[in-house]
Amino acid sequence: MSLRDIAVRVEASPASRIGGIRPILHEIRTLLAALIDTGRGGSIDLRSLPLSPADFEALDAALGEGEVRATIRALGETRVTETAIHGVWRVTHCNDGGEAVADLIEVCDAPEILKTHAADARVGLAKLRTRLEPG
Amino acid sequence: MHEPETLGDVLAKRGVSRRGFLKYCATLASLMALPPSVAAQMADKLTRATRQSVIYLSFQECTGCLESLSRTHSPTLEGLLFDLISLDYQETLLAAAGHAAEEARANAMRANSGKFVLMVDGAIPLKDGGVYSTIAGRTNIEILKEAVPHAAAVIAVGTCSSFGGLPHANPNPTGAVSVGTLMEKGLIERKPLINVSGCPPIPVVISGVVAHFLTLGTLPELDGYGRPKVFFGDTIHDRCYRRPFYDQGKFAKTFDDEGARNGWCLYELGCKGPTTYNACATAKWNGGVSFPIESGHGCLGCSEPDFWDAGSFYAPLPAPRAPLSAAAGAAIAVGVAAGAAVGLAGLYKRKKAQQAHTKLTVDDLETEKKP
Ligand code: SF4
Repeated sequence: MSLRDIAVRVEASPASRIGGIRPILHEIRTLLAALIDTGRGGSIDLRSLPLSPADFEALDAALGEGEVRATIRALGETRVTETAIHGVWRVTHCNDGGEAVADLIEVCDAPEILKTHAADARVGLAKLRTRLEPG
Repeated sequence: MHEPETLGDVLAKRGVSRRGFLKYCATLASLMALPPSVAAQMADKLTRATRQSVIYLSFQECTGCLESLSRTHSPTLEGLLFDLISLDYQETLLAAAGHAAEEARANAMRANSGKFVLMVDGAIPLKDGGVYSTIAGRTNIEILKEAVPHAAAVIAVGTCSSFGGLPHANPNPTGAVSVGTLMEKGLIERKPLINVSGCPPIPVVISGVVAHFLTLGTLPELDGYGRPKVFFGDTIHDRCYRRPFYDQGKFAKTFDDEGARNGWCLYELGCKGPTTYNACATAKWNGGVSFPIESGHGCLGCSEPDFWDAGSFYAPLPAPRAPLSAAAGAAIAVGVAAGAAVGLAGLYKRKKAQQAHTKLTVDDLETEKKP
């Protein structure tokens, strides 16, 4: 059982809306324009901002859901979704109790964590070789 | 001679992929308030580093600090701390006891002399020759005197070893002091000292300090209290998600009124967030579930010196709140528009926390608000 199973939730009541999401949307716009012009986008660490649960909901609503949704299982789940704004991704890292430990907006072609690292590819190759060994 | 095992090797053996490690570094970067883009570089450097030898000594303490550090089972995100370090001596976790345990410490110290990081939790009693806390018939101060000269650096884990903590609280019957005080008084050798305060401290802050050491080869920059600025550079108030309510003057007056239900600011219920430097608001507790303020209780200020003796936990900080002026409100709006990633918190904290890093008082907050 994880702490998530305890039936107490932070309610996202409208009264707890802080209204801090417009500046974030402006920053995303700047990063996206930079991605198009220079090939380099950037990321925003949502945890470093004082956002209430209601603000998180408002941000998700403003960005919408896009075409890609991926789940990575490495030391707990990581949820990667492209928002309805192409090139703008939500990356949420969870620990293995399912609790979010880092929450990022990434403005890029594809988030780094989706890619296979060369070291992991070498591990994969070694595995495949073993499997192809006769006997 | 065989090459020492790198962290990358250790992780690969345990089935942790680079994705897992990248994720760990993204979490650390977020906590250290570093730009998210450095996570990939950190992951790269760390995988090539070797594990850091650590000797951990416990003195006048409640074991809460060790509990905080070790409450996870590996491999988990938080458990990666134990992959960064080679914990060569920790008596509570050690299988051996008695003479064998004492010998284990001596061996670990000899084998890694000059290279190990000494972690200390608990205060050190000095009254009556230090008799109030002894291990195997030896006082804490004796053990520390012996270990410190061999250490590369000392990390004081928790408020007791950083500032004296509960044992040091008035009337301090055992004459308890911090590791820093012992160094200042010349009672133990001076070594680079990092205070990771908190009652208990946030586990990932410890691994962050070790990661900093391993990636950059240096100890992190410290504040006036010897705490790493990357984690203790902001007050809880700076990063608190209830902060906009403070700015708007919306306060819970009791723990069950409408304001409390709406998640308003807990200042008037005794929250010590404005004068407390720590990373709880971003790192959070119990694997990222929440932190005291998110659970509806004000901050106690547990990472600050003498917080036990700072009056009632439920009395508001002693300064009247001036109403927020229109000009200050506008300044906050400009701060936000200027860079959301720096965030709503950015107004006064950079100046205060990164320049002199003197303790922020409520008076400072009031002054900052004036146009
Ligand atoms: S006083 Fe406490 S609850 Fe209110 S904003 Fe500051 S840290 Fe948060």
